[in-house]
Amino acid sequence: MASARMRLINISRYPGQLVLDIVIPIVFAAMPILLGRATAGPNAGEVFKENTGTSNYVAYMLIGASAFTIVSYAFWHIAYWLRWEQETGTLEILYLSPTHRIWVAAGTALYSCLRGIFSALVAYLLGSVILGVNPLQGDIGLAFLFILVGIIPLYALTLLFGAVVLKVKESNALINLMQWGVSFLMGVFFPITVFPTLLKVMALLFPPTWMTNGVRSALLGVGFFFGSWYKDLAVLWGFLLFAPLFGYWVFTSAEASIRKNEGMGQF
Amino acid sequence: MIGTVRVENLSKIYRVHNRKGLFKSEKSSVEALKSVTLEVDQGEIFGLLGPNGAGKTTLIKILTTLLLPSGGEAWVNGYNVQRHENEVRATVGCMLMGERGLYWKLTGRENLEYFGALYHFSPSNRRQRAQEILDLLGLGDIADRTVETYSSGQKMNLAFGKALINDAPLLVLDEPTNTLDVPSASELRAIVRKLNAQGKTVIYTTHIMTEAETLCDRVAIIDYGQLLALGTVDQLKASLKRDQIIRFEGVIPSKAFTAVQQLPQVQQATRTSTNGGNLLTVVTGNGHAILPQLIEILTANGTLIQSITPQEITLEDVFIAKTGRTLAEDTREK
Repeated sequence: MASARMRLINISRYPGQLVLDIVIPIVFAAMPILLGRATAGPNAGEVFKENTGTSNYVAYMLIGASAFTIVSYAFWHIAYWLRWEQETGTLEILYLSPTHRIWVAAGTALYSCLRGIFSALVAYLLGSVILGVNPLQGDIGLAFLFILVGIIPLYALTLLFGAVVLKVKESNALINLMQWGVSFLMGVFFPITVFPTLLKVMALLFPPTWMTNGVRSALLGVGFFFGSWYKDLAVLWGFLLFAPLFGYWVFTSAEASIRKNEGMGQF
Repeated sequence: MIGTVRVENLSKIYRVHNRKGLFKSEKSSVEALKSVTLEVDQGEIFGLLGPNGAGKTTLIKILTTLLLPSGGEAWVNGYNVQRHENEVRATVGCMLMGERGLYWKLTGRENLEYFGALYHFSPSNRRQRAQEILDLLGLGDIADRTVETYSSGQKMNLAFGKALINDAPLLVLDEPTNTLDVPSASELRAIVRKLNAQGKTVIYTTHIMTEAETLCDRVAIIDYGQLLALGTVDQLKASLKRDQIIRFEGVIPSKAFTAVQQLPQVQQATRTSTNGGNLLTVVTGNGHAILPQLIEILTANGTLIQSITPQEITLEDVFIAKTGRTLAEDTREK
């Protein structure tokens, strides 16, 4: 909790960043939406529905962009946080204290969650108003459930990735590669059904793919991967149970390897 | 046990990659610590001296659990550093990276309260403890400004305050007076003495010899990963006789220095630059006997001698005698 509180205090001293948190997802979604409006012709909605299950492409892309906000923040706030602490020298402080790093990481994840979900929600609501769609259609409760269940394996994934960042002492390029790779695979602006089989399988290995599709299906009725919400949610639960254990193991293994050689805090 | 440190045959080997061009690298290893054995007694101020790359920071990082040793064992406050890491961390206060290690967008008070949270203090205890430290260090006036607005000295003071947050029986301070002005450094040393008088054990590394001489009960000299000398300051000085140190000031060319080094009676010789000239310090078995020969060799090789000083033994002389170099020289392998 102290870690989350400290980071919230920290970000409150960057007010411009908070505004950007909300503007970027809207702009990000607006570009393909406006492109579609300009080029797709009079049957745009019907054609879109054939491939995605909904004619409401505006809400479809806004949901994708908002989900991407949550995913992107998760990667940046965890992996970049570790690298930032390494570079500023505060990582050593964390490792000199008796508080286990996983609790500090959990605090950072809580902060990231709050910031990501808040930004995604505001961006989605504001974007819907600007672009003229109803943001409150469908089953909102089910949509939130998919987000809440999907967010934990997402952060487990970022912990795994954070271990790589700690070890190779590189963040920006790696995080960019990861976040854009995951956003591509999770189908931010298109359904993953259009992928070739191998890519489809890879996409289904990522919890954000299930989370995004779950939210879209709940709000827009695009269709769950396994046909019903509880089956898709069960898959996310499986990720939730397995991913944190795997992420913890990889992270602590990386820590042990670093402490055996150059030591924590070496940047 | 509390407030003590015991190190037995501690060694550390780093694996390093040496870059050779764009994508090639070569692996090698660096032995940073070589079977170091020492003990720090409860309630003493223990100085750790050595040039850059000598192994001091490696030793400290092992004692504070940031690094795992390659061999040997160490106990801090009775806890093994590998098997009881959390207990070690909870009972040590550290200042290792100076003004780094602070969150610059937080205020001094917020920094201390956050560090208090990391040591499991309750919110009210954190606030109280933070205020006590701010009052002790005279940072009350700037406590509610963000750290980015502090001067270097103020940041160092706050970093020192961080080391005190958990009121640990053992303090590990790595060059705590770096970047402090003379009065602030003096104040910090006074606080260290006061904390020591209250029963705290202190491990103190410094490049400033006079600081070690005046502050430390015992001093360990480390170089090339080995413990070269250990004892009280008086014991270390007594290991060198008074007439064994001769200092020459003047303009001393390299060939003159080389010629002095080659004399069989010369144990160690170092040449450092001073304002407009050089200072040559010679450690020898019998200063009186060799002095005429030294003068002859120096003048024959173009030396302009301005003064010859028989020297009161200082800790720096002990250091030079044991290591053959000054603290300013880098020991790290090229």
